[in-house]
Amino acid sequence: MTSGPLRSDGVGSAAALPITVSNIRKNYGNYRALDDVSLDIHSGEFLTLLGPSGSGKTTLLMVLSGFVRPDSGSVRFADREVVLLPPHKRDIGMVFQNYALFPHMTVAGNLAYPLKLRRVDRAKIAERVEKALDLVQLGGLGARRVDELSGGQRQRVALARAVIFEPRILLMDEPLSALDKNLREQMQLEVRRLHDRLGMTTVYVTHDQREALTMSDRIAVLDKGRIQQIDPPQALYDNPKTHFVADFIGESFSLPVTICDGGATLFGHPLHLPHKITGSAPHFLVLRPEKLTLLPEHPTDAAAGINEIKGQVRQSVFHGDSVMIYVAVRDGHEIALRVPHRGKVTLPQPGDHVSLGYGVEDTIVVPATMPVEGGMR
Amino acid sequence: MKIRSRGVSLVVALALTALTTEAYAEQTLTIASWGGAYQDAQREAWFNVVAKELGITIKEDTTSGIADVRTQVASGKPTWDLVQQGNYSCAILDKEGLVEPLSDAIQNMEGFKPSMKGKGWISNLVYANVIAWNDKTYPDQKPQTWADFFDTKKFPGSRSMRRSPVYDLEAALLADGVPMDKLYPLDADRAFAKLKTLQDDVAVWWSSGAQSAQVMQDGEVDMSSVWNGRAETIAKAGAPVSITFNQQMLLTDCWVVPKGAPHKDLAMKAIEIMSRPEVQARIALYINYGPANSKAFDTGVIPEETAKKLPSYPDNLAKGFILDANYWADHLDELTQRFDLFIQQ
Amino acid sequence: MRDAESGFRLNEASLVKQAFAEQLKLLSLSFPALLLVGFIVLAPIAWLSWLSFVDADGFTLANYERLLNPSYGLTLSTTFQLAFLVTAICVLLGYPLAYIAAQLSAGAARIMLLCVLFPFWTSLLVRTYAWLVLLQKRGQINTWLQDWGFTDAPLRLVYNFTGTAIGMVHIMLPFMILPLYAAMKSIDENYMRAAANLGASPTQAFWQIHVPLSLPGLGAGVMVVFVLSLGFYVTPDLLGGGRVMMWSMQIERSLSVYSDWGAASALGVVLLVITLAMLWLFSRLTGVVGAAAGGK
Repeated sequence: MTSGPLRSDGVGSAAALPITVSNIRKNYGNYRALDDVSLDIHSGEFLTLLGPSGSGKTTLLMVLSGFVRPDSGSVRFADREVVLLPPHKRDIGMVFQNYALFPHMTVAGNLAYPLKLRRVDRAKIAERVEKALDLVQLGGLGARRVDELSGGQRQRVALARAVIFEPRILLMDEPLSALDKNLREQMQLEVRRLHDRLGMTTVYVTHDQREALTMSDRIAVLDKGRIQQIDPPQALYDNPKTHFVADFIGESFSLPVTICDGGATLFGHPLHLPHKITGSAPHFLVLRPEKLTLLPEHPTDAAAGINEIKGQVRQSVFHGDSVMIYVAVRDGHEIALRVPHRGKVTLPQPGDHVSLGYGVEDTIVVPATMPVEGGMR
Repeated sequence: MKIRSRGVSLVVALALTALTTEAYAEQTLTIASWGGAYQDAQREAWFNVVAKELGITIKEDTTSGIADVRTQVASGKPTWDLVQQGNYSCAILDKEGLVEPLSDAIQNMEGFKPSMKGKGWISNLVYANVIAWNDKTYPDQKPQTWADFFDTKKFPGSRSMRRSPVYDLEAALLADGVPMDKLYPLDADRAFAKLKTLQDDVAVWWSSGAQSAQVMQDGEVDMSSVWNGRAETIAKAGAPVSITFNQQMLLTDCWVVPKGAPHKDLAMKAIEIMSRPEVQARIALYINYGPANSKAFDTGVIPEETAKKLPSYPDNLAKGFILDANYWADHLDELTQRFDLFIQQ
Repeated sequence: MRDAESGFRLNEASLVKQAFAEQLKLLSLSFPALLLVGFIVLAPIAWLSWLSFVDADGFTLANYERLLNPSYGLTLSTTFQLAFLVTAICVLLGYPLAYIAAQLSAGAARIMLLCVLFPFWTSLLVRTYAWLVLLQKRGQINTWLQDWGFTDAPLRLVYNFTGTAIGMVHIMLPFMILPLYAAMKSIDENYMRAAANLGASPTQAFWQIHVPLSLPGLGAGVMVVFVLSLGFYVTPDLLGGGRVMMWSMQIERSLSVYSDWGAASALGVVLLVITLAMLWLFSRLTGVVGAAAGGK
């Protein structure tokens, strides 16, 4: 690997490596932690593994880092098979959930540690430690003890330590979960900027879908040890392939629909669909609050390209920048729409009957369970 | 037979003293001794006799040595009336004025050698420090003198001696040719020089009687300077261990009455009873120790077989010498310090 | 103006009074405990020190002058040598054992610690005699050594420095293992993972990360074992064969042979001072006294 100082020149992804994960299985007793997972991570990509706890995302990260030995499968960094390589020979950076900064070393000691192991000479080490500290805006704090740092500062040190030896792959295991909301949002941007600046392939684990949407090039959603969908954030949000993904990403309300001949009906009314539906398994219509609009009281007519749903306002909740209006529809189901808060606009009051419309392109109909034949590449 | 006649004589004695006991009725005498099997034997042999004869209750306690007596007397209100001590402790306490002078009746009793009593103490039983050996190691020629004990050419093997200058210095001087009656005052320099010649062969410097017995019994050492009672106990248990009374060092345990004891007169009376030949003799029936009163051997209470094994049996007594308690009372501290330095070097 | 000022100090006096009353209550709660500690711990030490400086004629240094006898110097040297040796062996044996226990599953670790603790439930005397039986000339170990042809004549394994050290290590080992185990258990496994991830081989990670992080436990163990060893009595007395003279044995001798409270007290005071000095030195060297006590 190159041993020059930390790159400061934009996206120098020449030093990044692609990762190919093929058919990884890992069982703990009868519990399937990873169930035949395959995944291509592009060179220099920021990929997030997203899922609820127990979905297998952390196990997959541990397989990449070498701390968990899979039962079978292959992990390749570029063309090199690494599944049998012990962790200390994988030469990848990692940020741990609780940072794992060595408490018996100073900040500078922590940063110097990987360089010492690589026998970088002392003058060089000092120089690179300074540079790394500057990179995470902690210049001058090298002599501090780890327990004298705030949570955000520790986070930055952990980050600096993970990249100081210029690994071509960086793994992060829910690194921001211990920070409070404001700091977390700030760090999300910083981590992403750091990635853009250094250009290494980054695999990021989180259970926070907002965080995933904010930071990632692509997101792999995991559930029950399998990858449900892998797509860029917007595609994932706009075109979820399964009910689980739709439900897990963003705010949404689901209504059961009936499938017939590639079409779908909601409460007996046919829906305008962007494309035909294959199969006849149970499906859901997924509605996102911000994509619904209030239709005028006396609609001209159900224009083509608009689906309509009627209901009665139950409650409206003020959120500052917007108002959420909860609407009861048929059969005890409830949906909501989000209206930007612009003041002086008369909003429907609880008890009012309303009609809500949504475009054909926003009409998301997904199978209730993942189709068996669903290819996950 | 003998036991029955003794029983009769006791009854007679009790009847005769019936009147005098009136005075002490309902009184309690507190005696402190070494505890364990030793005190059990004393109770059977002596305390029960005293209790019956004086018509009193005897309360027992245990002592671990001279410090207890000092503490009791220093408190100004001792709770013990009668205390058992090792012989030089008695002499030391007497010298320090911490004990009551004994009554004339006790002082005038016959059968006690002058070295077995002092102004404030009197010996009650006799034991000895003797040479013991393992018969398996020495099947033919047996060591007979302390010179043999120190002669590792003639008797190769490991030794055990007490972790104390008492006995060891006497043994060394005897081995170096000093006659038994010319030992005291000890020539310490000469003794330590002789001891030095044996030091490397002393595998264990024992600190308790139990330890001295254990190292002989387990064959850890081949020859040892031990108390006769301990050697006999392990021999009885089947260990191939024998002893000789040649050049035995006779030791006594003794009674003292702590200064200011609550029942001083009663204690004197008890000592008097326990010092009588026929009562003294009883101790040999319960434990391997001999009576201090030599007339006890004339009472016929002790069977001949048993008597011969006692250090104070007249024939045995003649082969040894009595350890000088008064000498040790004066020199124990100084010589122990020197000894402690010696064994560490 | 005046109103504002009085409003600014509203209820101040009562609040201060309440705070004071609360502190007083706390103090009164801890008073019995303080009294007990004072009575049980401090008073005897004070009495001991007092005894060492007085005799029938008043103030005296005689009890300390007595310690100039070279016999006490030799004893002190033996005591320290033994304490150092026992502590060192306990570290060498205890560290790997604690390490293994800390790596084991909860169930297996419990069984192992039970074995470690087992000696605690047996009397010190019994354990010491057990070593005597094993180590003596005709003991089991010498029998095996000879049966298997390692030696012709029995080795002298007991009634000397070696035997004493063996017996003491056995008794002290739990005191080393328990704090080490506790310290190792509290080391987050992510530290070791982080080290490996940063490129440290298992050996490097062990020495550069695990060992430094277990130092508080090691320090506590070393301190406890060393201090206990300094004052050890029964085992050296029985297994030392009289040759291995420990400071505590000199104290016992002062009492049982000379029955000299002043001399014994002086010996006790010297041991106490040495022990405190060792603790001080140790805390200066490693800073583990505070760490062991749970501080930073």
